[in-house]
Parts: sequence; C-alpha cells; structure tokens
Amino acid sequence: MGLPDSSGGFLSELDVDAFRRLFPLQFYESHLVKSKRPDGRSLAKARETSSALGAVASADGSALVKIGSTTMLAAIKMEVMTPSKESPDEGCIAIEFYMPPICSPIVRPGRPADTAPVVSKQLSDTILSSGMINLKELSLISGKAAWMAYLDIYCLDADGALFDAALLSAVAAFSHLQIPVVSMNDEGKVVVVSEENEGGKEPVNKEKRKLTLCSIPFSLTCILYKNYILADPTAEEESIMETLVTVVLDSSGQLVSLYKPGGPVLAYTSAIQDCVALTRQRVRELQTILDEATAGMEVD
Amino acid sequence: MAGQAGGTPSTYSPSPTTRKTKSLILRNDDVDWVRTDGREFHQCRPAFFKTGAVNAAAGSAYAEFGNTKVIVSVFGPRESKKAMMYSDIGRLNCNVSYTTFATSVRGQGSDHKEFSSMLHKALEGAIILESFPKTTVDVFALVLESGGSDLPVVISCASLALADAGIMMYDLVASVSVSCLGKNLVIDPVLEEESYQDGSLMLTCMPSRYEVTQLTITGEWSTPKINEGMQICLDACAKLATIMRECLKGPDSALEE
Repeated sequence: MGLPDSSGGFLSELDVDAFRRLFPLQFYESHLVKSKRPDGRSLAKARETSSALGAVASADGSALVKIGSTTMLAAIKMEVMTPSKESPDEGCIAIEFYMPPICSPIVRPGRPADTAPVVSKQLSDTILSSGMINLKELSLISGKAAWMAYLDIYCLDADGALFDAALLSAVAAFSHLQIPVVSMNDEGKVVVVSEENEGGKEPVNKEKRKLTLCSIPFSLTCILYKNYILADPTAEEESIMETLVTVVLDSSGQLVSLYKPGGPVLAYTSAIQDCVALTRQRVRELQTILDEATAGMEVD
Repeated sequence: MAGQAGGTPSTYSPSPTTRKTKSLILRNDDVDWVRTDGREFHQCRPAFFKTGAVNAAAGSAYAEFGNTKVIVSVFGPRESKKAMMYSDIGRLNCNVSYTTFATSVRGQGSDHKEFSSMLHKALEGAIILESFPKTTVDVFALVLESGGSDLPVVISCASLALADAGIMMYDLVASVSVSCLGKNLVIDPVLEEESYQDGSLMLTCMPSRYEVTQLTITGEWSTPKINEGMQICLDACAKLATIMRECLKGPDSALEE
C-alpha cells in the first residue's frame, strides 16, 4: 500500500486502517487527489438509495428509506383537531425527527444528539414552505374538524446525510398515506368508518383518501473541502470535513431552500452553483426511486 | 379543544377506543375459539431474525414476530460513565424505547418504563461480565411496532445482537410468554389477547444449559397451570433458540436489507 506522502519509515510502516484513524485528513486527501473516495465512489456520486412503502402497519402512511447505511423510518398518524379561527378550513402537519440511541454510538439515553432538533426544524421548514401539501386538503368539516398529520421520522442507522434521507422518507410516507374514511357521530366526534358498522353515518371524506403532492422537495448534502465537492457524505466524512451545504430543489427544479450552517470553508458562488447542479441531477434519481416505490405499491 | 395558532392544538385519534372485538375472544369457559390470526393455542408466530441491521453499532439485530417489530443495537464494550465507581467486572446498560407510532394510539409506548430494567435482569445472568472489566456494554432497543409479546421479542433480539457484537455469553437467551385466557393457555399472545388475559407468564432462559434467567408471573394462576405454562415456554424457547442460532450461522447474516 504505497502512501502518497511516504515521508519516512514511520508512516510507511503504518497499516492502512491505523493511518485512516490517526491521520484522517491525510488519508482522505490521498484519495481525493485521485478523485476517488475510500468507499470507491467518485466525488459527485451519491450512495445507493432505496425506498420501501408501508413498513409500519399501525400507521396511516409509512416508508423506510436507505441511503447507503443511513436508514430512516417515517410514519404518519392522522388525528383530528378543531381548526383555528384564522384558517377554519385548513389542517395541520406536525413533523418530528428522532435519533434514538440505537442509531449511533454518540447518542445515549438521556443525552440526545444535538443534530436531531436541527434536522427536525429544517424538515418542517422545508416541507411546509415547499407547498408540497395543500393544507386545505386536510380539512374535514370547515371550522369544526380537520386532520392533524403527525409525521414522525426515526433514524435507525446514522451514517451521514441525515437530512437527505429524512426528507426522502417524509416525502415517501406522504405518497403512501391513505387517509382513513371517517364520519361525524352524534356527539360531534369524528370516528373511523369500519366495515362492521357500515350503513351508519355518511362518511365525510369518501373521495379524499389521498393527498395530491405537487412540487415535491428533494435534497442533496455536499461537503466542501478545499476545492473538492463531495456529494452525499458518510458520517466519517462529515466528522472529518465539517463544511456542509444542503440544497433542496423541488421536482420542477426550483430552489426551495439552501443551508450552509457555518463551517471552516467559505463557499464561493461557483461552489454553490456546483452544488445546485449536483442536486439537480440527484433530484431526477430520487424522483425515479420514489416513482418506482409507489408503482410497486399499486401493483400489489 | 380550540386549536391555538402557534401552540399545539389538542387532537384525538378517530379510531374507536372501546373495541367491539371483545366478543371475538370468548372469555368464558368455552374451549373452542379461534385465535384472531388462526394459530393453534400452542403455536408461536413465525419468527424472523436478522443480524447486522445497524452498521453504526458494534452489533445489532432486527426481529419480527407478526406485527411486533424491534431493532436492538449493542455498543461497546466502551468507557463507563465518568461518575461510575471502579468495577472489576463489566457493566451492562439497557434501554427500551418505543416509536411514537408503535401503538395504535400515538405516543402510548412510554407506558413501558419497566422494560429497560427487565431486559437488564433477563440478560445479565447470561453475559460473562468478567470478560470486559471496567467497561460498559450498552444494549438499546427500539420497538418499531408493537404487536403483542413485545418484551420477550426484545429480549431474544437483544441476545442475538449481543452475539453479533461478539460479547461473550454462556448461551443465547430466548424468551417466550403465555397468556392465560379462561381455561386456555395461549403462547406468544398478540396485543388483543394480552389485553383480555387473566394472567401472563414470561419465561426467559438459556436453552442449551436449561437455565432460567427470568420468570415473571402476573395475574390469576393455579399451580398446575403454572407448571404447564412453564413447560410450554421452555419448549418454545428451545425451538426459538434454534432459529436464532440459524440466523447467526446463516450466510445472509452479513447481507443488507
């Protein structure tokens, strides 16, 4: 294993694994000059991505998404609320992102990860501002009852690009969402119409079982390090090279949001433009993955 | 009830809270009723195990028994918390949590606070704590979906995750529970059966050594019923351990998804 900086006997005697742990930056640089990453990817390539819908039977909509090893489980539970006076015919969406202790060695019970609330906030900002969901579709009876969609996303395995995976799982869960048929009972409560008590009250939402998703947001996180741009970083890459840029574009290619939460590298406009270009490619990939997942559901 | 802008409005689940299905399970002395999933009284749900579910962990396992789905990750042996006293032997730290969507009504999973310590007690007798002095092994479980017999599934899955992490144990730990419903004993009960049970018995054992690490009995039991229940559990644990062992040996244990 010839190291590029064979600056003496000490380094050349180290085996690759030890070198990787002791000098992570040098290890990465030796790969980056060859435009390769330690896992064999080129710099602009995202990891293999998959999505499976309907992973949780107890939820109204759910999806399991994997980007490389990063695994997200998203599920939506529909509950009923009284809409606010300002918007009597709009429902609501509550989004929460969790990093349970199983997902990473850095999270322990009682000591939650710092990133979880950050991702949580980014997710709700992105989903609510993208206009993907028309909140009016969540209305049941104007001024009286509307849906509250609780979207909970659990990170099962954290290996970088958490926001990208979480957003994809959220979108996939919404595309799988099947709204239960409900009716209003005598006490003014909304209840599920079950097969057993058919012929009771008239259902209030027979036609509105699915939400129409327009301009779906997709994202790509990139690392900026010197002049290199690394798409879809692993947890190891994120810990070594700390400057991240996350670009969110919708399915028509419009910019939804852009995050560059600090970091030692200051980005030039050109670097940001490169990130946007990479995201544009990635959106097409993700759109296909999502379409395939939904098509697979319809066949069943 | 009024939803306030900004705050979280109070919500309720539209699913009926008083289940009408109670009539489906006949609690009286009727011996001939059929379980909701069509199983025999002494038949367990098909068990599925997979190791290596979480790459970030030292060892992990996923278990699926019908609708009960759990993931267990094992971290360590690693440095104990700073505040811990010096210890010649290793420490075991367990935590069980539920996802908010695990139960039919959102966020009810937090009722099971005792599961963490029960998991700890079920496992500690099986682990060779002397093999990692001064350090801690963390066993974290997440119930993705609760479908009944959650704790036994968590315990069996945890012992598989420990084996996957290479933690030394005297034997795999398998756990099975039975519910007493009227005159019948039903093994590996689903949620519905658990909610109408007169009593429950959970047995955790190391099958190849024929040693019990934990036995929990709650509710109404007669002595012959307890003997019968224990024997059923021991037999089922032995079968379960073979499935778990197959999973550890199997060629697919290293595969993704």
